Amino acid sequence: MSGVAMPLTFHGRARAALSDRTLHEALDRATAQLRSRRSTALDSLEHSDYVRDVARRARMTALRNLGALLREFESRLTENGCRVHWADTADDANRIIVRIAAEARVRRIAKSKSMVSEETHLNAALERAGLAVVETDLGEYVTQLAASRPSHIILPIVHMTREQVGRLLQEQLGVPYSDDPQVLAGYARAKLRAEFLRADMGITGANIGVAATGTICLVTNEGNGRMVTTLPRVHVVLMGIEKLVATMADLDAVLKVLARSATGQQLTAYTTLVRGPRRAGDACGPESMHVVLLDNGRTRLLAGESAEILGCIRCGACLNVCPVYRNIGGHAYGDTYPGPVGAVVTPGLRGIGNWAALPDASSLCGACRDICPVRLDIPRMLIAMRQEAVSCTPQPAWLRFGMRAFAWTAARPPMYRIVARLGGAVLRQRARNGWIHRAPGPLGAWTTCRDLRAPARRSFERQWRSRTEARHDRA
Amino acid sequence: MPTSSIVQLVPTCLVNDLDPEVGFASARVLARMGFHVEVPRGLTCCGQPAHNAGFADEARAVARHTLAVLADTTGPIVVPSGSCADMIVHQYPWLFEGDPDRRDRARAVAERTVEFSQFLLQQPPGCATCGALDARVAYHSSCHLLRGLGVTNTPSLLSSTRGTTVVPLEDQEECCGFGGLFSIKNAEISGRMLDRKLSAVAASGAERLVSCDLGCVLHLEGGARRRALSVRVQHLACFLDEALG
Amino acid sequence: MTARDAILARVDRAAAAGRVPGVPVGAAPPDERDRHDVLARFVRELRALGVEVFVEASDGDVRARVQAHVSGHRTVSWAAARLPYGTATVVSDGIPWDAAYADQASADVGLTGCDAAIADTGSLVLLSGPGAPRSTSLLPPVHVAIVRRDDIVSTAAEVFSHAADRMAQSACCTFITGPSRTADIELSLTIGVHGPGRLVVVVGP
Repeated sequence: MSGVAMPLTFHGRARAALSDRTLHEALDRATAQLRSRRSTALDSLEHSDYVRDVARRARMTALRNLGALLREFESRLTENGCRVHWADTADDANRIIVRIAAEARVRRIAKSKSMVSEETHLNAALERAGLAVVETDLGEYVTQLAASRPSHIILPIVHMTREQVGRLLQEQLGVPYSDDPQVLAGYARAKLRAEFLRADMGITGANIGVAATGTICLVTNEGNGRMVTTLPRVHVVLMGIEKLVATMADLDAVLKVLARSATGQQLTAYTTLVRGPRRAGDACGPESMHVVLLDNGRTRLLAGESAEILGCIRCGACLNVCPVYRNIGGHAYGDTYPGPVGAVVTPGLRGIGNWAALPDASSLCGACRDICPVRLDIPRMLIAMRQEAVSCTPQPAWLRFGMRAFAWTAARPPMYRIVARLGGAVLRQRARNGWIHRAPGPLGAWTTCRDLRAPARRSFERQWRSRTEARHDRA
Repeated sequence: MPTSSIVQLVPTCLVNDLDPEVGFASARVLARMGFHVEVPRGLTCCGQPAHNAGFADEARAVARHTLAVLADTTGPIVVPSGSCADMIVHQYPWLFEGDPDRRDRARAVAERTVEFSQFLLQQPPGCATCGALDARVAYHSSCHLLRGLGVTNTPSLLSSTRGTTVVPLEDQEECCGFGGLFSIKNAEISGRMLDRKLSAVAASGAERLVSCDLGCVLHLEGGARRRALSVRVQHLACFLDEALG
Repeated sequence: MTARDAILARVDRAAAAGRVPGVPVGAAPPDERDRHDVLARFVRELRALGVEVFVEASDGDVRARVQAHVSGHRTVSWAAARLPYGTATVVSDGIPWDAAYADQASADVGLTGCDAAIADTGSLVLLSGPGAPRSTSLLPPVHVAIVRRDDIVSTAAEVFSHAADRMAQSACCTFITGPSRTADIELSLTIGVHGPGRLVVVVGP
């Protein structure tokens, strides 16, 4: 779908995605495999329910004590030799990182996967400042070459086929066409090795930070995370303020469930625990290390009904199990974070104003809550977001009026019965053999793909009362 | 009449106006099990459509009324709908968080509230639910029943019916796409989810599709009709009633 | 007011709103695992990850096994003091541990010890330090790691508690769990992307 202009509304993007057969096949295959791998991995985890409870507690406790933990984290990081920066907004974070690059006379930057940097549009800011930035995570690298955006938290190019990737690399890198993933990864390895070796600065996110020790934990498989934190002379970490746990024991709890939920591995190939720039006597590692702590709406989320969503550990499991995500893919969500978590986080960070369609696009089936390794109650938060939308954004007139009418009549049984009988009579006009093929007004959306059963002539209540009264009369 | 055998049947708004037979079937099955069925007077709706759509004030207005009606009854409150039962059991305490008096009454009512199949499964085995019906049946678990209320063994009511074979569905536990107003506000996505579910049903070889929520039933049945599928979609209460003869 | 002050003030105010759920957790269930044969578990997990693993009974056998893997190959290795069982002696075509990155990247094999190993997950724990840089286990396409049997523990939690002091002295602790890999393209597994595609573990007595 790269190169094609994205429709501007959620519904437009969803509609486009629903008619994209290639996307469907790719999503079905990928999400089914990831679900099955996660399931196997969790089955093999001893006492997995208890482990999930402990992981949840680690994250929720951290959020409850976030002020103290942030202060402790900053102190430990500073003791370890890091410079700590605080950014109110996305633009502030980008400015800080551009300044760090300027002060360190950085020209080339190698980036390991960071969703927060997508959130702030960091690459565009770096490029505007005249810096060369290359994404080094294979999926992100391909996305960068395609001038597109990732569509899944764990598998950035889940929406692309191997043929599409092969053609893209041929066009962009001038290499011979191949659709063999091994060959394609080999092209990326060769190209990016040169980048790792000549980068002045490495930028990463942080899967989780540990306040007690000032540790930044990176969970990766390819080795690019290690490369960009080992070879360049400057390392910058960009992380949301919520990505903390209190202790190394809490880190262990999160690590027990993160990879299992994301990819079905016990641990990814590399779990990197960084504790500052190189020490005396080290032959590698950055000379200077910076940690940029980003708010960008997180404190607003923390103060509201959906504070819990900040406990997300970005495993992507909810995407793999969500029937809505599986049908529309990640780009339809229109922003950094797709799927059930994105439907809460995006309006949470950006404001409900432009994003009310996201929490609406859910049947509240609860599969996400069931699968979440830290048991986030996403359905409850979706309803909370909808409540915020109702208070703060315009609703269709028929809906607002309809809800008021519903509330008024449903609390007054005689009125309710009258309205129900009238409505029923109107609908029965359109029915043949008890079924309606084209319903009027908003109900017309129902009949685009389903027949609508015509309301009964006599409600259950009426029939029940008359039958029981008849029995009493006979008795 | 021993009071321990009185149950309150909450038909639900959809059953009341769209398919009263489900209410009668539920009442007959309960009566066959020896319960005396009462239907509380003045019930309209549990308020879920407003609650799910984020209209909290409207939801509370409706729920206050329903709560008052139910609190004034005795015995188990049996609801032939997983989503309505979940609304009362889990969402009412949340809705009335800031209203201590109603919150306590909501908790008391929630404790008595049980979904229809859940209630049947709580009864001692060897009771009058075991009828006979020759059929290949697929079961669709409504999401609120399965995940909200945690009721996973409803299919045993089908398989214990003599002559009934329960056939598995691919992606058995996936949402059918009804989701209340979701089916209207997000009709295209809802329709796609419906397609997947009906394809799975067609591939399963089932003659009947049984579910515990009339919302799911209407959505699946309406879809089956539109696609001219031969599968018969039924609420569980109607199936068991038919099996009991 | 600095951004730091503003953010922390907002965080403190948000905490006062008390929206984050508390999490009561029951008692830990009993640990019923058989912890006796940690080595067997470690070997099993490594094999499941596609790691070649050899268990040797003597120092000499360790050296011979490593020699078989480095002989004829340009090898960058940790400093002699950081390699157990006197293994540094078997490296003939060696590149120093503090050579330029480009030189290290031209090696065929990286040879390291490790600070601990985790049986449950088949992980090697490497702490960076003088004579033991991260680049050795990262740049060459093959990584040969020597593990001392006594350094194998069951869980990561044990590493965090037993090695806390050593971890505090080191700029970077890396858990290596199998070779470098990706499944980004159609979920098809490719081994060996940026890190070593081949991992060989030699366990000594």
